[in-house]
Amino acid sequence: MPDQTFSGGVVIANPYPVAQVKIIQAPLPNQVILPLQQRIGAEAKPCVKVGDRVLTGQMIAQTQDQFCVPIHASISGTVKAIDKQIIPHKSGLKSTCIRIESDGQDEWVETKGCGSDFLHCDRQTLIDYVQRSGIVGLGGAGFPSHTKLNKATDCHTLIINGTECEPGVMCDDALMQHHPREVIRGVEILLHITGAKRAIIAIEDDKQEAYQSLLMFNHSDLISLVQLPTKYTSGAEKLLIKALLDIEIPSGGFAADKGILCQNVSSTKAIFDAVIDQRPLVSRIVTITGNALTPINVEARLGTSFEQIISLTDVNQQAHDYRMGGMMMGIDIENTQMPICKITNCIFVNNKKPKPPTKECIRCNTCNTVCPIGLLPQQIYWHAKGENIEKCMDYNLLDCIECACCSYVCPSHIDLVGYFSFAKALHKKQATDQFKTDIARDRFEFREYRLERNKQERAQMMAEKKQALKDKMAKDKEQGQVQKDKIAQAMARVNKTKEKNA
Amino acid sequence: MIESIVIFSSLALILGLVLGYAAIRFKVKGNPLVDQIDAILPQTQCGQCDFPGCRPYAEALAKGEAQINQCPPGGQEGADALAELLGVETLVLNEEHGETKPDHVVYVDEKLCIGCTLCIQACPVDAFVGASKVMTTVIEKECTGCDLCIPVCPVDCIYIREIKPTLSTFIPNIPGEVHA
Repeated sequence: MPDQTFSGGVVIANPYPVAQVKIIQAPLPNQVILPLQQRIGAEAKPCVKVGDRVLTGQMIAQTQDQFCVPIHASISGTVKAIDKQIIPHKSGLKSTCIRIESDGQDEWVETKGCGSDFLHCDRQTLIDYVQRSGIVGLGGAGFPSHTKLNKATDCHTLIINGTECEPGVMCDDALMQHHPREVIRGVEILLHITGAKRAIIAIEDDKQEAYQSLLMFNHSDLISLVQLPTKYTSGAEKLLIKALLDIEIPSGGFAADKGILCQNVSSTKAIFDAVIDQRPLVSRIVTITGNALTPINVEARLGTSFEQIISLTDVNQQAHDYRMGGMMMGIDIENTQMPICKITNCIFVNNKKPKPPTKECIRCNTCNTVCPIGLLPQQIYWHAKGENIEKCMDYNLLDCIECACCSYVCPSHIDLVGYFSFAKALHKKQATDQFKTDIARDRFEFREYRLERNKQERAQMMAEKKQALKDKMAKDKEQGQVQKDKIAQAMARVNKTKEKNA
Repeated sequence: MIESIVIFSSLALILGLVLGYAAIRFKVKGNPLVDQIDAILPQTQCGQCDFPGCRPYAEALAKGEAQINQCPPGGQEGADALAELLGVETLVLNEEHGETKPDHVVYVDEKLCIGCTLCIQACPVDAFVGASKVMTTVIEKECTGCDLCIPVCPVDCIYIREIKPTLSTFIPNIPGEVHA
């Protein structure tokens, strides 16, 4: 029996607990901004023009990339612009977005699904529904669900990730408490698609209400609920598998290789919406929390600005620090003008507070003990600081899940995970540069070879031509001689005749 | 006495044959140092080093006929890496060979192009597509930013475009420096 845990990780209680987890429906926004670039894959191409009227749920951009899902209008209205806007990303760079102004009608596009009769649909049809509905992992990674489902051809265990280990985030908790029926039905759909023998819904033991409500709606023998001890990073896919099944996924491997499929609980509900209600993914639940307000969960349309969502709370009038995503893995953001995306699970609004000053690393080894992957953050930190990427790779930097446990426990307040994401990005750049250099070298060498070959071919051609000319001339000469002889003979005959006649 | 002479002569003969065969069988083609140097060079093929490409420069370096500070696209880091490989003191980049420019590619203003094909002939990596009297354009992915096509264009329709970081190629800043 697995011991339901893994080494490392940190235990952090919810810093801003609430008495009752509720979901508030956000009012329809006046306008939405929908980025074309998703977390993974190529940028989608818009299939609407500025000035077009679109309906809620209508596809407005799509791509052929297998890692991408189409983008849907989250409100009905008019396309006002397709231009560069700031999107929630750690770079702060602008990216192409479609801006839609609401007409206040929220008129839905007519969609075609398979209704509650999903058992009669085959696997591929259902995966197509999932893809066309734009469903990605809603836990934060944003990995397209259909890609995962396509890969899970030989799946025996389905894991539904309801751990929500990031302290402070409550959106999955709220979803499980208020939509247990949809979650369970979603799991049944996934079981049908994957053909798995069992499904395990994993919930951390601090979410008793969610556990109870799911338990009440679960009538299936195939689905079991498991409570895990509350510990941060238990929601990371590989660690969750380790805790539940005691199976380790090797570095660079995938859960699918071992016949396991992990899905987030919100994604499961979204799959239910897509297949049964034929509703594409146009909204999500966002937790607004922090010490500047009373935490709430809001179901908001995608593309609504952070500012509008925050205005639904009793936020105080002080200056704030904003953070998107969890308090551990999230990113600090400067302003609140950016839109809610599929992966925006939480917004932290804290009263402005200076960050504790960073001090020197004292080699205390605490980070090494909390790393859930078993890496040596301290070693990688030194090498990343020296930009020695090769050494970082020797210490398996790419296996780092950037969970920030190391940064959290660091007594010198070193932003270790910042160094790691820097080193990863640098590694990626070096790899692409190397690839480009190799191509350039090959092309240069081929060009040299080609020029040389052309020269030789030309020389050969010229030589052949010369030879041919020479041969021809010689032949001509010969032929000329024959002609001359013939003429001479003819002349001789003529002269002979003349002599005879004379 | 005779025995030992026979033994040692035959040993010498056998080993000599083995060595002779190995010398032919495992002969290193070309100079391996050239490949190592070529791997460090940025493969821009711009010719700013006064050699007609990166490989010729690498060959000259291996023979000791060139200095390590003649490659502006490689930057100071490139010169340092060459110094380390060749075991010599590093040199400051020679400004006579040009300055290090940010990553860029070129693009053709297709409305102005007259199809003279001069750029196609100038490009060291065959990154141009076109033919005589038709519009020509650059395959951006293949362009190394050597800028050799810019001076040859008779209508000046080739421009430089800097490569800006995108969401997928962005590198975050290294966190604030440590305060002592």
